[in-house]
Amino acid sequence: MRRRDTLVLIALALACGGCASFDPPQPWEKGDLAKPDMQFDPDPLAAKAKQHIYQSKEGAGGGYGVGGGGCGCN
Amino acid sequence: MPLFRFTFRAMAAEHELQLHATDEGHARRAADAAIADVLRIEAKYSRYRDDSVTTAINRAAGGAAIAIDAETAALLRYADRCHALSDGAFDITSGVLRRVWNFRAVPPRLPIPEAVEATRQLIGWPRVEWDERTVRLPDAGMEIDFGGIGKEYAADRAATLLAEHGIAHALVNLAGDVRALGTQPGGAPWRIGIVHPRATGGVIGEVEITDAAVATSGDYERYFEIDGRRYCHILDPRTGWPVEHWQSASVVAPLCIVAGSSATMAMLREDADAFLREQGLRFLLVDKKGRLVTA
Amino acid sequence: MAATEDRRGGSALLAAALALPGILPATAHAQTAPDQGVFAFRYFDYRDWQPEAERMTVRGPSLYVLAPLSDSLSFESSLVYDAMSGASPLYYNTLSGASGLGITDYRTAVDAKLTKYYDRFAIGVSAANSSERDYLSRALSMDVRTWTADKNRTFAFGVGAAKDSINPVNGSVEGKRRETYEYLFGVTQVLNAGAIVQSNLTYSDGRGYYDDPYKSFDRRPSTRRVWAWLTRYNQHVPRFDATLRFAYRYLHDSWSADSHLLEVEWAQPLPQQFTLTPTLRYITQDHAYFYHDPPLGSGFRIGQPYTADPRLSAFGGITASLRLARQLAGGWSADLAASIYRQRSSWRLGGDGSPGLLEFSARWVELGVQKTF
Repeated sequence: MRRRDTLVLIALALACGGCASFDPPQPWEKGDLAKPDMQFDPDPLAAKAKQHIYQSKEGAGGGYGVGGGGCGCN
Repeated sequence: MPLFRFTFRAMAAEHELQLHATDEGHARRAADAAIADVLRIEAKYSRYRDDSVTTAINRAAGGAAIAIDAETAALLRYADRCHALSDGAFDITSGVLRRVWNFRAVPPRLPIPEAVEATRQLIGWPRVEWDERTVRLPDAGMEIDFGGIGKEYAADRAATLLAEHGIAHALVNLAGDVRALGTQPGGAPWRIGIVHPRATGGVIGEVEITDAAVATSGDYERYFEIDGRRYCHILDPRTGWPVEHWQSASVVAPLCIVAGSSATMAMLREDADAFLREQGLRFLLVDKKGRLVTA
Repeated sequence: MAATEDRRGGSALLAAALALPGILPATAHAQTAPDQGVFAFRYFDYRDWQPEAERMTVRGPSLYVLAPLSDSLSFESSLVYDAMSGASPLYYNTLSGASGLGITDYRTAVDAKLTKYYDRFAIGVSAANSSERDYLSRALSMDVRTWTADKNRTFAFGVGAAKDSINPVNGSVEGKRRETYEYLFGVTQVLNAGAIVQSNLTYSDGRGYYDDPYKSFDRRPSTRRVWAWLTRYNQHVPRFDATLRFAYRYLHDSWSADSHLLEVEWAQPLPQQFTLTPTLRYITQDHAYFYHDPPLGSGFRIGQPYTADPRLSAFGGITASLRLARQLAGGWSADLAASIYRQRSSWRLGGDGSPGLLEFSARWVELGVQKTF
């Protein structure tokens, strides 16, 4: 489907980091990266709650990690 | 974002933290943590403190091995690298020369060559027995001191603690050893003046730094002059006598400990400019005649 | 010589200097064991509804602890307790008199994870257990992460297995089971000093009982295979000292309920240690191949899978959230978040949403408190 193809292309572009320059930093330049705001899952409880809601109200979920088990929300 | 300044005294000198934060409480908490660690390092490594690690190691010279922690072991490993890189000119056991070179005596007097030679027998980093857990000075009378790297290490630690407390724009100045975090707010680099080696209160040059450190070693910090010749406190352990290649050496590096030891090593080498260029470091040297050599 | 060329200077000594513990701020992105523990508490209040009907509420506390056990071993555990009450979903646009039995159910979920860190890789093992009156799930998983020497690229591999058993309170069936195996491969790449991207591919292979035992016409396939490709991107924006976060997930399902998910967030630090984070999320989902539009029962064939569950319909869903967090003294922090979610068939990307369904809405509020120690 055309729509799907477009979306997959967008996904690939995003996966390539968009327009960010590729210039991996030295260890002493990683100050900003260490900030909590730059982490992917700084708050495990908030992430769990969010994924649980969407998993129980939408068709399927996943992609964030393995483990954690399921719930009876079918 | 307002600027907050905090001054404090440690290691017999005045120090200053300049940091930008959104409110004073935040700035104060970050500064307190940074200052606490500088004081901790001083207490741990000062040879003037009775309960320091350095004093314990020196007291046991010629005797038993002393247990050390990861931080001390890493500092010894760093000193070892400096020794190798400088072909033995940078040696943390060379502090014993202090016993024969007195920069406070009035009138100043040169030491007797025999005394210098005798003291030189107690220098020798390669002879020190050390590993990750213990260190032992093999001969009684030997001493190590962290004078050449302790203050610079403290500057890096202070910057790290400020960063861990959420500060993104700061300047740590420990009596001339400077480490910058980020830029000034708005993106401009920090501008650091280099002290003029001969004109008191004057500046001979300037460097701009971002997320980097600058440290200076000079022949004007402690010295005496006899018959128009200057004898400074930077002593070459291979001869036991002061160096005379440069009036001062300032080096820019990502970490202050690297900048400081590189500046000291530069003072000990006639080919300092080639050496620093090979290391890929920015520098500002003032030669014997007061001329600037930069890269 | 420009300031930008300082970066690589003094490499001979730099390597030795970098070995000094604590010479640099604590590393990001989990390549060394944490040196600080964390204790967190969160309270959660969720409510959903459809036009002219109150439906479900879920409330409850959750706890989390992260404890470093040594300089290379860490332990994490969480406990979630939910009290759910309200009616089960209506999926017509006509209300029937029997607007659903009130259910009150409790869910307790606990999990624990142990992670061991080595110089260039880390291994984690975790176990989880979730139980409700009618449902029990037990899961085990293991993940291995390995990174390059400069720590700018990390590869993650994970496997997990979950065994569920279903015993509905209405006694319609008994002792049903389900097994799910999950696999993950992910790459995290630091792009530059202010940007990082992560892309994860997961495959989930489940077999067993999937039917909804509380619905009269509901027969689902006994297997489900889901591929999910999630890409997340965080960009620091120095001009505002803020962070832009972006996530996209493509999900391909053997039940055909494929979806695209897009989420955008902006974390904006404010004076007095506050951070405000608005979030926008959009999901568009296809219907499961065995989903049938209302009226209930139409299209039902014996022996063929069938569902009228709106969660497997074709829809678009939008969530808008706002979170306000504050860093307090002594390692404490607190946050308050509110979210509103709406699902509508007409919001499906490209149209073709499932007809005959009521709009579904939900809102949830969270209060969290955290302490590092």
